[in-house]
Amino acid sequence: MSHHIEGSRNSCALHGALQVFEAIEGTVPVIHSTSGCGVQHYLGGTRLSGGNDPFGSPPVSSTNIREKHVVFGGGSRLREQLKNSVKVVQGDLYAIVTGCSIEMVGDDVPAMAKEGVDQDWPVIYTNTPGFRGDVHQGYQLALRALIEQLPGLRTESVAVQAGQVNILGVIPNQDPFWRGNLQEVARLLEAIGLFPNLLLGDGQDVNSWHQVPGAALNLVLSHWGEQSARLLEERYGTPSISLDGLPVGTAFAALLLQVTEKLGLDPERTNGVIAREEVRLRQQFARLADIYYRTGFQREFALVGESALVVGIGEFLGKNLGLLPRTLVITDNPPESVQKSLAARLGSIVPGFDTKILFSEDRSEIADVVRTGKAGIVLGSSLEEDVAQDLGVPFLAVSFPLFNRIILERGYAGYGGAAALLEDVGSVILADSLIHSV
Amino acid sequence: MSGKIGKHIAIYGKGGIGKSTTTSNISAALAESGYRVIQIGCDPKSDSTTILRGGNDLPTVLDTLREQSKVRIEDISAIGFGGVLCIEAGGPVPGVGCAGRGINAAVEQLQDLKVFEEFKPDFVLYDVLGDVVCGGFAVPIRDGLADRAFVVTSSDFMAIFAANNLFKAVTKYAPSGGARLGGVIANSLQAPYAKSLIDDFADRTGSRVIGYVPRSLTVAQSELYGKTVIEAVPHSDQAQVYRDLATFIDRDEDAVIPRPLNGPELKKWAREWGDRIFEVEAGVVHEMGSI
Repeated sequence: MSHHIEGSRNSCALHGALQVFEAIEGTVPVIHSTSGCGVQHYLGGTRLSGGNDPFGSPPVSSTNIREKHVVFGGGSRLREQLKNSVKVVQGDLYAIVTGCSIEMVGDDVPAMAKEGVDQDWPVIYTNTPGFRGDVHQGYQLALRALIEQLPGLRTESVAVQAGQVNILGVIPNQDPFWRGNLQEVARLLEAIGLFPNLLLGDGQDVNSWHQVPGAALNLVLSHWGEQSARLLEERYGTPSISLDGLPVGTAFAALLLQVTEKLGLDPERTNGVIAREEVRLRQQFARLADIYYRTGFQREFALVGESALVVGIGEFLGKNLGLLPRTLVITDNPPESVQKSLAARLGSIVPGFDTKILFSEDRSEIADVVRTGKAGIVLGSSLEEDVAQDLGVPFLAVSFPLFNRIILERGYAGYGGAAALLEDVGSVILADSLIHSV
Repeated sequence: MSGKIGKHIAIYGKGGIGKSTTTSNISAALAESGYRVIQIGCDPKSDSTTILRGGNDLPTVLDTLREQSKVRIEDISAIGFGGVLCIEAGGPVPGVGCAGRGINAAVEQLQDLKVFEEFKPDFVLYDVLGDVVCGGFAVPIRDGLADRAFVVTSSDFMAIFAANNLFKAVTKYAPSGGARLGGVIANSLQAPYAKSLIDDFADRTGSRVIGYVPRSLTVAQSELYGKTVIEAVPHSDQAQVYRDLATFIDRDEDAVIPRPLNGPELKKWAREWGDRIFEVEAGVVHEMGSI
């Protein structure tokens, strides 16, 4: 049954794919679509994700097709654009993403990509019309293209270190804290002797993707990485560990132990790492104790965001910090089977406590359920700031879109993320208590 | 459309059913009786008006649009038999691009060029590829571009299915100002059952047959000379058939919203007719066997 969505926070498949390709150094995305697609990607995506937007304007190559390309086909326009892109921007990989009108017309994009490859240009393509899905499907489609097409562009073998772990399931910018989260995951995996292959972000390039087949393990940090992990298992037999949510604080210890067992690592080393991190976290808790009791830290909370974030932050706040999950809203439209298991997991964060769980991307429906739940703090996207104001409770922006936070290094994953979350949640609660005490 | 100049008629039909021949002969007959006529071919094959203009080449609207930034009426039109202004919308090469959007773009271009205001036609005939494969080919019957739509069909079941599809499109668009159905033109009639089969289809769909065009060698011969029957053999019976059709379209402006058959109804109807035809055919075989 169709229904309207107000203020959706999930943009289209083309944007999801672009967000992946833009996060791989040396990759030049080429949009084969109308001019609005690239502009919308900049205005509605990168500019609202913690201030990591490109300087000035969106520097994305685009065919900017017009009516004549719809009527007569846009193949030759793409050929021209690809040729010009190769001339103007030196890239290690050119990645074609397609928009709706081109897919309606049925341009033979694979043939155009092959023409490029025949000229020794490293070209891959992915068909990403918005009607194929939203930003999450776009992420999946981009990863599929990389996994399936990259091996064909390189004949010599790629050296891979033993103990390499590919990190999947983190969608750049759709998670505004993606860089920091990946860095923290890397830090902790390195500590137990592994070599994380983050694949996206600073220092991650096309070569990182060429190394994907040689990994010992695929670590999947959200449902959206599972399809790629399955594909890699089919092709290369790589085992994987899939998580529903970002492991925040102590939850990371369980992951480290699971990885250690799966890869036969030294458990003593892992336990040492966990002990060190746990001590640090406990010290942080202890330092926060005074404010915790003084400000009435323990309260009900509403949390709105992508499933991985809601599971990760929700469980940390509920299980480790003693807050009560009043309303949890999942905005990334996971498939129904996943929704069921998520609902069961989220419903039992604090046993016996009645948690309202909603799967929705509709701004007004989300606002209504948060307002009705009357939490003592709201964590969500900037779209939820109004409802927090209505309720007169502190607000922390943790999910996309973010209108007024700069996120360069910050992340909420792992032990470092737990500290960041304590700082951020603590700060808004403290600030709010000062206002109310005046 | 307010202030529309002339009567706008869309003629649909399955590919190869003879709708361009029928349309061109109707245009020729209307022109012959003194009317100013524009015929616009809305088919990527762009051969709608060939027999009105001696088979000469005519650049299509879309080809011209692709190659020139500024298009003039004289670049994309030719005066054919009886002064009929001939225009071909054109389209992409098969397998590339979107012909439906092409029809849309071509019609918009003609409106921008003020073709109708300049030429002041009494009749505008749109000859449209009639399988109604997508929204683009429904452009002439949407938005009230044409007042009436006619469908050309033979007694072939696939042609009837295409006609039924057009009825569906008319039913969809007519309530919001789209064209209504003027009727069915029965074409290429040869088999003994053909007339009653098409009559029955029209009857069941709340439509009517406005003319019966027998299969005729005269038509094929005239076409080989790049002419309509009206021009090549003006005194033939066949020419009179087309004149009668033109007169009907001119004088009778009744138009309805038809009742297309749904999938199962159409199948059942076709099966019943299939059984009847089989009996007729079997009868023919039997008679021949006795010779």
